[in-house]
Amino acid sequence: MPLDFRFTEEQDHLRRTVKEFAEKFITPKVFEMEQKEKIPDEIIREMARLGLFGVSIPEEYGGLYLDPITAGVIVEELAKADLSCSTPVLYLVHTAWSYIAQKYGKKEFKEEVLPLAAEGKLWIGIATTEPGAGSDLRSIITTARKEGNEYVVNGEKAFISGVREALKQFEMGGGHLTLVKTDPEKGHRGMTMIFIPIRSQGITIKYEKGWGRKGISWASYKLDNVRVPEKYVIGDEGRGFYIAMEGFDYARALIATVCCAVAKRALEITMDYIKQRKVFGVSIAKFEGVQFPLAEHWARIEAAQLLAYKALWALQMEREGKISRFEVSKTAAEAKMIAVLTAIRAIDDAMRWFGAFGYTEECPLTLAIKAVKSYEWAEGATDIMKIIIAREILGREFLPYR
Amino acid sequence: MNIIVLVKPVPDPKAPVRLKPDGTIDREKVPLTMNLYDKHAVEAALRIKERYGGKVIAISMAPPHAIEILREALAMGVDDAILLSDKRLVGSDTLATSYALSQAILKIGNFDLILCGMESTDGNTGHVGPEVAEFLGIPHTTYVERIEIKNEYVVVKRLVEGGYELLKVKIPALLTITNTANEPRIPTIRDVIKARRKAITVWSVNDIKADPNKIGLFGSPTRILKIEKVVLKRKSKIFSGSDVDKIIESFLAELKKDGISLLR
Repeated sequence: MPLDFRFTEEQDHLRRTVKEFAEKFITPKVFEMEQKEKIPDEIIREMARLGLFGVSIPEEYGGLYLDPITAGVIVEELAKADLSCSTPVLYLVHTAWSYIAQKYGKKEFKEEVLPLAAEGKLWIGIATTEPGAGSDLRSIITTARKEGNEYVVNGEKAFISGVREALKQFEMGGGHLTLVKTDPEKGHRGMTMIFIPIRSQGITIKYEKGWGRKGISWASYKLDNVRVPEKYVIGDEGRGFYIAMEGFDYARALIATVCCAVAKRALEITMDYIKQRKVFGVSIAKFEGVQFPLAEHWARIEAAQLLAYKALWALQMEREGKISRFEVSKTAAEAKMIAVLTAIRAIDDAMRWFGAFGYTEECPLTLAIKAVKSYEWAEGATDIMKIIIAREILGREFLPYR
Repeated sequence: MNIIVLVKPVPDPKAPVRLKPDGTIDREKVPLTMNLYDKHAVEAALRIKERYGGKVIAISMAPPHAIEILREALAMGVDDAILLSDKRLVGSDTLATSYALSQAILKIGNFDLILCGMESTDGNTGHVGPEVAEFLGIPHTTYVERIEIKNEYVVVKRLVEGGYELLKVKIPALLTITNTANEPRIPTIRDVIKARRKAITVWSVNDIKADPNKIGLFGSPTRILKIEKVVLKRKSKIFSGSDVDKIIESFLAELKKDGISLLR
């Protein structure tokens, strides 16, 4: 009987701890974060104290190196406490990409960067998208050419999360694992991943105005002859595309968990309301028109949650060499696709049950829908998730771009 | 400074309460959590340890599944944890509980302070702390907000109605801690993981050499005859008229009748 839906006692204990922290430090600040478009320094400091930035980093570099399911338990509690998703994004992007940094980074890079990252003094993000390439990453035009023991990067990255945080809020800065072309002739096999500190010379930033999850910054930037040391190359030259896909799988599984947690919390808030709100003398929770779709949404979220945890489990199985890369990609794509759509539909209905209040900026559900909507494209668009799933079930010969 | 902290598992106040037919709380079906006030006691103990050195031991008399509450104390930073658990203890009232706990404390031996929450969020009697002190024959002070160690004394700021008392108490002593005393720490992820790896000592009635006649239902003089849900009826009275000053006057007079007077 190997299938077991229970969490370990340690995971339950960690969940309680993160929940206590998030409800105390984050929940009271959610609306403020959205209005001021900033995660308060105190929250980042407390997240760091708790150890939330060391989740993917090996113990030898001062981290905790937790398994993906435990990382998911943590993000679930952050998401329940922060329906705007700003703090979950800060956590999950760093968790997914610091995992990649420790797996593929060179020893000198890891010794320099990872202890700071584990302590929450340095933030690690991801920069793949460009003005002319998002879903179709092989069309990126940012290049890096080697000069001595440095790489010189030129190009532009767009819609990147965590820029201002790395620039100003993390004591030692931070940067993004940046996808560049080192051999443009070779298409996606000519791509390389390089860690580019955001405080490097030659970076010009333009902040974007997002619709939601405004607490965490979102920016596009030009890279003009940005010089980075060779040791910042993550993995082998030419392997960047594959490394990016691996990181996206982890991020997608965590995002699926976030969407389910946000949707469930949104429904819980809604249930408190519909039980008390009366029309025609009865609570609106008694109407089939409300309770039937509520029940359906609840069940669908639970199903999506299981798929999200299956994806996190698959990542762990891959670490143990028990399942293949492709299987992980497929499960993560399934989880993200289902979770995002399920969450959007559930929150959309729940907002309607709130009546006019559901349309105000004071209703926490408006934060939630704006946040989960971002995942229709962030970390891989829903249609790309479908292409990945179709590739695995139909075969590579049916890829639309082949 | 060696400190023993008494911690009690209580039904999670955020979870819905289910009552058994006899009116008592159905503890089997409610998720347990560490009594809120005991968390403040643990925090107080850890701060004393950080300032004056020593060791902190947490002890709980509870069913086996309450061991999680001790893990939370370990994660917060206590050095050791002891679970006093035995079927013969089931049904103990505050007197029998205090007796059993005092026997366990005698077995631990060497201590300077015993701290516990000022009451529990389920029973709310506030009896156990003072009763443990009486069994041990040591002084005790309730509702303590601030603690300072001065040689063989502890100087405490004690919350009383309308103000504070400053008391000097000879060590060893037992203090019950208020929820205004401090802000309990939230452990780090690493602390939690470390706490999971620590062994928790489990003692039975035999280990603490307790008199079987003084524990459990048999050793408990308290009998709960009935538990009733208190229904507070909201009083509503409408003050109306055209003279606002008069309305305010009659409103204040009504408040005064209920013993409420406004400070000027």
